[in-house]
Amino acid sequence: MLLPLLSAATLLLTPSLAVFQDEAFHIDYHFALLGAPKESTTFFHQPNPASKASLIYTLSEEGALGAVNPRDGSLVWRQLLQGQHQSNASFLRAGEGQDLVVSGSLNQVAAWSAEDGRLAWRTATDGVLRDVEILELSDGKEMVGAKDAVALSGSHGAQSSVVRLDGATGAVKWTYEFDGSDEAYQVSASSTHIYAILLHKTLLGYLRIRVVSLDPVTGKKIDEYMLSSENELATADTIVSVGANSASPIIAWTDAAHSTLKVNVVGSKAISSFTIDQHAGETVARVQVHAPYHINSLSHFLVHYETATSHWADVFHVDVNNGKVTKAYSLPKLAGKGAFSTSTSDANVYFTRITRDELSTVSSASHGILGRWPVTSFGVVSGIGEVIEPVHAVSEVSVKGDAVSAIRTVVLLSTGDWILLRGGTATWNRPEILASTVAATFAMPAEVEAFAERLQAEASSNPVSAYVQRLTRHIAELKDLPALLVSFPQRVVNGFLGTSEDDLASDNFGFHQIITCATRNGRMLALDAGNPNRILWNRQVADLKKEQAWNPRLASSKGGEVTINSQAGTGFRYNISNGEQLVSILPVDVEGDAKAAREVRFTMTDSALDATVDSKPAWHFSPASGQTIHSLVPRPVNDPVASIGKVLGDRRVLYKYLDPNLALLVTKSSLTLGPSNTATFYVLNTVSGAILHASTHNDIDLTSPIATLISENWLAYSFTSAASATAPKGQQLVIGELFESLVPNDRGPLTGNQNYSSTISTPEPYTLTHTYQIPEAISKLAVTRTKQGITSRQLLALLPDSGAIVGIPYNALNPRRPVGRDATKDEQAEGLLRYNPVLEFDPKWLLSHQREVLGLEEVVTSPALIESTSLVFAWGLDVFGTKISPSFSFDILGRDFNKFQMLGTVAALGVLTFVVAPLVTRKQVDQRWKFL
Amino acid sequence: MTTTQLTTSAPQWLHDMTSPSTAVIQQKSKTPILDPPGFTALQTKQQKSKTPAPVRKQPTPEEMDTLKLKKAWELALGPAKQLPMNAIGMYMTGNSLQIFSIMMVFMLFKGPIGAMFSIQQTFSRLETETNRGQMLLVKAAFVGCNLLALALGIWKVNGMGLLPTTRSDWLAWETARDPLERAYFVPS
Repeated sequence: MLLPLLSAATLLLTPSLAVFQDEAFHIDYHFALLGAPKESTTFFHQPNPASKASLIYTLSEEGALGAVNPRDGSLVWRQLLQGQHQSNASFLRAGEGQDLVVSGSLNQVAAWSAEDGRLAWRTATDGVLRDVEILELSDGKEMVGAKDAVALSGSHGAQSSVVRLDGATGAVKWTYEFDGSDEAYQVSASSTHIYAILLHKTLLGYLRIRVVSLDPVTGKKIDEYMLSSENELATADTIVSVGANSASPIIAWTDAAHSTLKVNVVGSKAISSFTIDQHAGETVARVQVHAPYHINSLSHFLVHYETATSHWADVFHVDVNNGKVTKAYSLPKLAGKGAFSTSTSDANVYFTRITRDELSTVSSASHGILGRWPVTSFGVVSGIGEVIEPVHAVSEVSVKGDAVSAIRTVVLLSTGDWILLRGGTATWNRPEILASTVAATFAMPAEVEAFAERLQAEASSNPVSAYVQRLTRHIAELKDLPALLVSFPQRVVNGFLGTSEDDLASDNFGFHQIITCATRNGRMLALDAGNPNRILWNRQVADLKKEQAWNPRLASSKGGEVTINSQAGTGFRYNISNGEQLVSILPVDVEGDAKAAREVRFTMTDSALDATVDSKPAWHFSPASGQTIHSLVPRPVNDPVASIGKVLGDRRVLYKYLDPNLALLVTKSSLTLGPSNTATFYVLNTVSGAILHASTHNDIDLTSPIATLISENWLAYSFTSAASATAPKGQQLVIGELFESLVPNDRGPLTGNQNYSSTISTPEPYTLTHTYQIPEAISKLAVTRTKQGITSRQLLALLPDSGAIVGIPYNALNPRRPVGRDATKDEQAEGLLRYNPVLEFDPKWLLSHQREVLGLEEVVTSPALIESTSLVFAWGLDVFGTKISPSFSFDILGRDFNKFQMLGTVAALGVLTFVVAPLVTRKQVDQRWKFL
Repeated sequence: MTTTQLTTSAPQWLHDMTSPSTAVIQQKSKTPILDPPGFTALQTKQQKSKTPAPVRKQPTPEEMDTLKLKKAWELALGPAKQLPMNAIGMYMTGNSLQIFSIMMVFMLFKGPIGAMFSIQQTFSRLETETNRGQMLLVKAAFVGCNLLALALGIWKVNGMGLLPTTRSDWLAWETARDPLERAYFVPS
């Protein structure tokens, strides 16, 4: 009895800001992504050797390892490996009939349970990993239990080594260290030997391939030789392939001009040379080798040639006995790009070719096509006029007799989508490109913004003209009436079932804003925040070289368009509803503000801040000696404040220090200097350069993230303090609020002046701060934004350790919470509670509730058209978005509003009226006829 | 006519029964028979009540004025007598904005204001040509008492926080200062 009462009482006391159960999974969306899969680390594999059902395993370019169900594309499990965004340095292997997958990245070799992704073992190697292979030995006694792994590692300039790791425990069985400082390249294992391939740099700067063969059991060197690749190899980039784990592993390379292909079967010194056909004078841009990955499959391989506009392939056979390589047949040249995948069935090898419009399978033995499926659509969106090309593919083929009975192919497309083709039809797609988002912004569709502006105009004009305007608007809207009437029944049904999928144009609440995301590889795509499962468009906006950073910044200056500024160029504008590029007349100054008479522009260089007025230097800020600038956050340009003061419990006013020219600057000690790590947080007036507030924190763990935020008249920052003799390691969240005066009803020295110049007088704010001990590190802080700033604020914090995003109500952090005493009656009226230095994150504050949101890096917010609601979008590896109402949804009916009950009541009343009406009439008539 | 007929044709008892009063009076005047002991005759009663009535003399206009003035003072001070009662009621309802307290405060305002508007009507019965001068004082007292009641209402409304007397009530009309300069961050 007492317990429910108590809990009810606590509900009344604490502001229960929370995600409601009926809203979870409806208002929020989440893409659990892996990132673009790499060709070499993607494969079908049976997690349970006893069953035939297989999963797709991949280790992506973002360093995420995961398994995807090929039936519907859902994620089965996922692990984040260290070393994100580092391509070419991670490996994923699975032994045949094994229930473990072995990954390698940086210097960690780890084995994961294929079924549920649990870590089986993890071993660190001395150098950076160059390759990881599974030993598929043919001698019987080694086959018991888990198969062992071989790892090749070597740092630049240091000694390279090969280790054999026990498949069950990860223990090192033997280590072989190479002499010399040759760069380790790859390791491959045949049934009897382990071959390590190293690159030896000659005096002339060319590379020679050095092959060392080792005994798999003892780790002793058996043989060593150099391949005479004279002056052909200038860099390692032209080495096409070193086939691993096959009956006869091969090394293939070309010269820089891609004119000849040289193939060597590892173990023999003979080199076969083939001339690459130059079709119609087009230069071959890329040569790839696709070889089967099974030790007992036929030693056939396919060489894939690619020019700018076409592609073709040759199939070669290797004679296992004498190591001779012969060309068997060619696959015809086709326009566009294509992808080849290799699949095996027993000893047979099949090659599947995916082009823009067709999928076909051939056997490696002969060129007869075993199956052909036209691909009408990949089921993904692209930019206007863009042709979607396959980038790479992995197939699972089942063959009956001479025909392919079923084929499943996962293809990475040039749009960055990862799709599965069953036969020739697209079954599902995963927008893995979103995992490489580097910038994103909200933009209002033009129609919605026009509507909002019209409403604004009506609200601000005098009542008569507003009425006339409204009337004319309604008359103008009458032309949509027939269409509305037609769609009305459907809309009613949708409204009741909660399945309404209203379009962008008729969005009166501003929930259907368009989120544009720029990705690391120069593409841009758009999502509808109200219906995020549909990508509106996806196009290439920047032509980048491999590994080139472009640092895009997105902004939406006005409805219907988005502007990109990047290193590739500034002021590119795009229509957000279809991705069309708009003709750029002038680079639009996004932040231009007509009211300000004088503009001060400031930039941040590596070690200082510099401001200029009319291209003359205005002020300069350089950090104290031994300190470097860590970050700078200016107050957002569009930061509406509803009230210029805070009303106290006794109805007096504390005036906020509101200045649009505020910035929070963080400096930290350069890591090289001294053991005492400090960070200093400055609040700057960016017009005069004056320091308004500064606080220094000692013993900070500078390797942990420092998150900062400034908005309205308050600032927040979070850091991790290092363990010291007096205090343990812990995370702290500091919140500070700036006031004009701490005396109520006092507006400070400037009193009620209409305008002021910061260069003439900068009154200093009175700052109140509170520090809270928080349970985990915050990587990024943001704040909710609403249209007029009336709604109370929530501090949004990304928690990387628990994969969550939390919305902390401002009142829980309020720096005016009384310290060391209970709140007085007036303070209680303001909702202030006694200060408690430990702030636990209430589970109800978690915006991501049950979802596990991995790798989030950034979060942006945007106001909806209705005051109560703010839209949130967070990205990193995963993409997460929601809409939140920090002061509850006071201007819109929630999901808990029972439409059925309301309509039922109305209907019942109507029926009742109809039933009772004749009774009442009769009674009245009867009364007339009665004599008194 | 019926009486005469009855007296002639009907017996005396019947006549007495049908018109008892006349019978009694007739009996009184006519018959020498004594009343039964304990019987108080109607006539004696009539005689008793009649004896003071003729002595009551009409009050003089001066007396009337004093009387009316007295009555008027009573009326004028009536609202003041309700004040303590109202004050206790207001104190008990608390300062929260609830339908009950709002209704009570509304009544508190409606009463005195209504009374002040109908002041002529209230005192018209008691006003004469001669006491008009004194009546002014009375009316002033009446208005004063009602004002006291109004003051109580205002005190209550203030307690409820409905009077714009503090800085926060006028905060919406105060505007933020505009800076003459504006600083923009230009990413390098």
